[in-house]
Amino acid sequence: MESVQIRIGQALAGLFVVLVGVGPTGIAADELDFVAHIQPIFEQYCVDCHGSDRQEANYRLDHRQAAFGMSDSGETPIQPGDSGSSLLMRLVRGQESDRVMPPEDEQNPVSPQSVRLLEQWINQGADWPDDDVIADETQLSTDHWAFQPLASDVVFPHGSYPATNHAIDDYIRRRLVEHDLQPSPKADRVTLIRRVYLDVLGLPPTMNEVRAFVRDSRPTAYIELIDRVLASPHFGERWGRHWLDVVRFGESTGYEVNRDRPNAFHYRDYVVRSLNDDKSFQDFVVEQLAGDVVGVDAATGFLVGGPYDMVKSPDVNLTLMQRQDELADFVNTTATTFLGLTVGCARCHNHKFDPILQRDYYAMQAVFSGVEHGERPLRELISAEASQQRQDLDHKLADTKIQIKALREMAAGLTVSEKEVNSRNRLPPVNARQNVEPLAPTTARLIRFRIHATNSSEPCIDELEIYAVDGKNVALAEHGAVAVSSGDFANNPLHRLEHVHDGKHGNAQSWISNEVGRGWVQIELPQPVTIHKIVWGRDRLGVFKDRLAIAYSIEVAVEPDGDWQVVASSERRQPFPGASSAEDEFIERLPRLEAKRARQLRDDERRLETMVQRLEKTLPVGYVGEFRSPPATFRLYRGDPFSPREQVGPDALMVTGSLNLEIDTPEQQRRLALANWIASPDNPLTARVIVNRVWQYHFGQGIVATPSDFGKNGVPPSHPMLLDWLARRFVEHDWSLKWLHREILLTETYQQSSRPNNRALAVDAACRLLWRFPPRRLEAEAIRDGILFVSGGLNYHAFGPGFLLLRIDHQNVHHYFPLEDLGPDQFRRMIYMMKIRQEHDDVFGVFDCPDGGQVVPNRSRSTTPLQSLNLLNSKFVLQQAAALSERIRSLAGNSVREQVLAAFELTLTRRPTVDELKDAIQLVEIHGLKSLCRALLNSNEFLFMS
Amino acid sequence: MPTPLHASHLLNRRGFLTNTVTGLSSIALAQLLDGQRMLAAEPTSRGPIRPSLDPLQPNAARSTHFPAAAKNVLMIFCSGACSHLDTFDYKPELVRLHDQPMPGEQVITFQGEQGTLQRSPWQFKPRGESGKMVSTLVDQLAQHTDDICFIHSMTGKTNTHGPGENFMSTGFTLDGFPSMGAWVTYALGSANDELPAFVAIPDPRGKPQSSNNNWGPGFLPAVFQGTDFNAAQPIRNLERPPSVSEDRDLATRKFLKRLNERHLQKFPGDSELAARIASYELAAKMQLSVPRISDLSTETNQTLRMYGADDSENPTKAAFARNCILARRMIESGVRFVQLFNGAYQTGGEGTSNWDGHKLIKKQYDVHGPILDQPAAALITDLKQRGLLQDTLVVWCTEFGRMPTFQKGASGRDHNPEGFTAWLLGAGVKPGSYGATDDFGYRAAENVVTVYDFHATILHLLGLNHQRLSYYHNGIERRLTDVHGHVIREILNSPERMPV
Repeated sequence: MESVQIRIGQALAGLFVVLVGVGPTGIAADELDFVAHIQPIFEQYCVDCHGSDRQEANYRLDHRQAAFGMSDSGETPIQPGDSGSSLLMRLVRGQESDRVMPPEDEQNPVSPQSVRLLEQWINQGADWPDDDVIADETQLSTDHWAFQPLASDVVFPHGSYPATNHAIDDYIRRRLVEHDLQPSPKADRVTLIRRVYLDVLGLPPTMNEVRAFVRDSRPTAYIELIDRVLASPHFGERWGRHWLDVVRFGESTGYEVNRDRPNAFHYRDYVVRSLNDDKSFQDFVVEQLAGDVVGVDAATGFLVGGPYDMVKSPDVNLTLMQRQDELADFVNTTATTFLGLTVGCARCHNHKFDPILQRDYYAMQAVFSGVEHGERPLRELISAEASQQRQDLDHKLADTKIQIKALREMAAGLTVSEKEVNSRNRLPPVNARQNVEPLAPTTARLIRFRIHATNSSEPCIDELEIYAVDGKNVALAEHGAVAVSSGDFANNPLHRLEHVHDGKHGNAQSWISNEVGRGWVQIELPQPVTIHKIVWGRDRLGVFKDRLAIAYSIEVAVEPDGDWQVVASSERRQPFPGASSAEDEFIERLPRLEAKRARQLRDDERRLETMVQRLEKTLPVGYVGEFRSPPATFRLYRGDPFSPREQVGPDALMVTGSLNLEIDTPEQQRRLALANWIASPDNPLTARVIVNRVWQYHFGQGIVATPSDFGKNGVPPSHPMLLDWLARRFVEHDWSLKWLHREILLTETYQQSSRPNNRALAVDAACRLLWRFPPRRLEAEAIRDGILFVSGGLNYHAFGPGFLLLRIDHQNVHHYFPLEDLGPDQFRRMIYMMKIRQEHDDVFGVFDCPDGGQVVPNRSRSTTPLQSLNLLNSKFVLQQAAALSERIRSLAGNSVREQVLAAFELTLTRRPTVDELKDAIQLVEIHGLKSLCRALLNSNEFLFMS
Repeated sequence: MPTPLHASHLLNRRGFLTNTVTGLSSIALAQLLDGQRMLAAEPTSRGPIRPSLDPLQPNAARSTHFPAAAKNVLMIFCSGACSHLDTFDYKPELVRLHDQPMPGEQVITFQGEQGTLQRSPWQFKPRGESGKMVSTLVDQLAQHTDDICFIHSMTGKTNTHGPGENFMSTGFTLDGFPSMGAWVTYALGSANDELPAFVAIPDPRGKPQSSNNNWGPGFLPAVFQGTDFNAAQPIRNLERPPSVSEDRDLATRKFLKRLNERHLQKFPGDSELAARIASYELAAKMQLSVPRISDLSTETNQTLRMYGADDSENPTKAAFARNCILARRMIESGVRFVQLFNGAYQTGGEGTSNWDGHKLIKKQYDVHGPILDQPAAALITDLKQRGLLQDTLVVWCTEFGRMPTFQKGASGRDHNPEGFTAWLLGAGVKPGSYGATDDFGYRAAENVVTVYDFHATILHLLGLNHQRLSYYHNGIERRLTDVHGHVIREILNSPERMPV
């Protein structure tokens, strides 16, 4: 078997060669001698802490290769040829804000003369003659098990232990034999079916299902049971919950304002459906990282499922750090979820335990640097009609853009003089004081001034003058003209419609439209007049320059329902300074006809874009992230956004090989490349990590007990060969999770009893070797769902917006208060509860139920008096106990004995023992059926999977 | 003496991890104890210390890492960022240069541009024997000046409230990390098993900005999360519901106990099952003890008056005063960590019901000062009179400070994490002033203290090594102080008795 070990040391050695090549060559022998001048300085000041005994920051100055390598900070402290950018010099000179070398408390500053020598030596290329130190000591190696290819099967010698029917059992049995332990006998059938239901579906079985299974003596009965539960729609609801813990999914922003995310549920639905459909885990990986590429938009909810600090500020310190924290969340969650690696540890320095460089962290950051929190349309949910509409719009838009491009090219091709001519033939730009519109003599009775755009706010006109060929201003009210408008600025004595033709100038005698950037005003003359000039202004007194109409047209007609004719417009003018964007400047340089056409096309383009936007608003959106063109990513010295170092391109981990992406690879391609690398059968981590997670949820602990850390700081696998067997078979079976579940569930190991025995407890109390099925308390969700299931109150409504157990007070900062009265809407399975960060559910929050603030690869299980109080006294449990007792009554009638039997069957799926029956009858007779129900819902047997 | 990296403690740690990562579930107790002994036998080790937890009594008192100066903590948390410049950090330069621009570069802070330097609207007066200047806004707290150890050079890492409160309460600006109270109870358990080991007392006006994060368990087992209730709002679900009579309740619980004990017979030695049975007994005790401790009717009129709990004209102050009395009763009963909040966001945003005085600091602090001052001062007096300060460390803190300038166009101060004040008082602490901000109170300038240092010092006073108290989560040996923090030895009463 070939090892994939890649020696970081070798990579550094390569780097060294390059760096030396950069430095100046031909150092004169008499200038500076390393052994005579420089080495003594290192020995005097440095090697105590950076030598063979100690390697502070994993950096040493006692031999060449290490000295030119990288320290924990991710820096290469010596940059041959450039003392200015060498960290070593900055530290020695005290130029780093927070540190100096040697450390201040040693009171041993490097002498000025030595500083000069070091400076000179580095500037001259840092020549350091070869030394013989073996590089091993400084190398980080990847002989760590998790990075090795999956091992091949073990062939078990015959007769070393009792034969089993399943390879998994062989692996388990072998380790038990080593410790002189026996597996436990098979669990009884009631225990077994209860275990399978609770484990696989998160709900208990019904008594009928239990009875049928107990009676079914066919050898295939258990296999059929497993196939049935794996096909149940409740499977995804149970296992989806586990996945949502791992990926820190929540439905509010967390932090200060903690706003709810009403559209985040699409990701939760995606997870539940994917698991129910047994989607290949490869696809599951790729979709969550790059679902936008493969048409599964909801899946990228994975990226932005975490908390997000929405409080933005002009303070750049805050803003940069917030962005770094967001990116860290994307990187960390991706790495722990899929790779079981704590890449986040390398944000400030090279990883202390694993072969992960600081550069690797920033390379992964570059993969996600275009990802933003936010909503996006979910294309998979768009109707055919909307999708057709969108297609048409896109088509038209593309066509328009092509035509605009042609005109742009035409403008660019014109000679300078042509451009000047085209632009000189125009009227001067509009100005706020006064504008004259010369007209070819036209007969009109109605003159309408229509505004399409202003330089700001609602348009204002202080006076509109219309001159007849005889020179008379026929617009004046005193001549009988009447003004009409599209709407007037509300209730302001300065701005009134009649002011537009009162003959008085200035802001205090003006008209303002009631709409921002648009509106029209119309003058109706007593009779048709031949006019030849219109004069208008915003403020003839020259005080105000805002509210100026910069795009307008003047239309005239003889009769209201006659033909309207445009007689003047802003298009005849040179552009208002700053009005046309740089994008529109080309229009002004075109000949008139082309300019008109270009303007029309640009209008079309804007209109189409608006329509696309509007259409998008009506489309289903999810909180699944937005993608932007990625800014450059830099390695940040000690994680500080104000200390950027070299630019880093998108990539995976150096130790497992490169994605070979260009530094400017488009955003989407970055994520896709990373996703494909993660989902590759050659990636040694991915399959191991997911099979271990599945194993963990079945048995309570993983083969690797630190499911999101397969690095050196994690716990080595208890059954490494089994882990590899599972991972390899999983890949061979098309990464099918249901195949994996089935294999595990069919083992004898899974089916054994959970009863303890003293001898095994003494050897392996934690049951790492699986000498029994490890019993455990159910999670918050399974307890709540189970209570509702047995009471008959469970609302099976799946998918869609979640229910809330809190009332939201929608202030800027959202506040949440427990909902007092619960009904069927709140009686859905708990995976459909909207998960608000920082706010635990009133009853079940204390059952170690995470809030999505951090990833939770395995929940802690604590036992507290508050849990007991909540199960005893909460309104929820009392309500359900009452519902359960009603259900029992309807099933069992009035016989107390029958009621007790039914109560045990419904909750514990078994008949009571003689003692229990007696005890329970007494309780019911004196204190009523509800008391029995309350007790049963609190019982260990109900709350544990065993 | 430094231990080389990759030395034996890592091996120990790894062996240790193998047995304990599943949290409390565990019958693995025996091995867990072995692991602990292994570490304890290695005094020079720098490896993590994870307390051994008895699943039957996860909150049982546990030993410290070294002799402790303080046994419990009372933290008074002023939510909203209480201005150091209007309370405890006197700056004559602000008076001299009142209404002039702050020298140096133009600073852009949280809400934007700065106006001019502003002296405090409240007078500062010399207090006690030390003559230290404290503002009249906190006149009554100022009576304790000679007992207080002021840290004037606090610095934070963020200038937004949510992350700021997270940072002060959990050591991380991010969401989802365990609160300090959770860490302390995880380490030390509690002397009183009839009360929660860690109690958070929200302000009468509601919860603080980062809400339950301030007392959340993060990834620690839920048993260590703070139980939040105050004098007006009892623990939810504590009381037997009125629809269930007392004897019915008792009979039900007896039946439940028998049912569980019969079930346990099938699983002899399973401590998780046994722990659940025990938790019902504890719950029953708590049902008696919590109402008893919350019943302030046994307090004398004199006490009520001293705290201001009888102030009929200021009901918020009276309610906060009752919370203060409750806090004292908790400390008296041996609750390990009490976190008392002053200021809230649930009932009013910026500055309205908290210390976030951006726009109208005079008007708003004239409301908040009196709510805090008398009750909190009386609480300290009361603790002192009862001899409780022997064992109790009082911590006063807030998420960050405020600017020496007013915001441009406003009459209030913007956020400032560059320098602010927190103080300690009581067990193990030497009164005085430590560190200083610059002449304007803008930046910490002398003996700069980080929030990590502050936390390290508090843990140290409790006999805990902040570098070793840890919990393994998601690949990382987590600590309250992350990878930072230095104990501020200068403010310890007897630094020599603490190990280095």
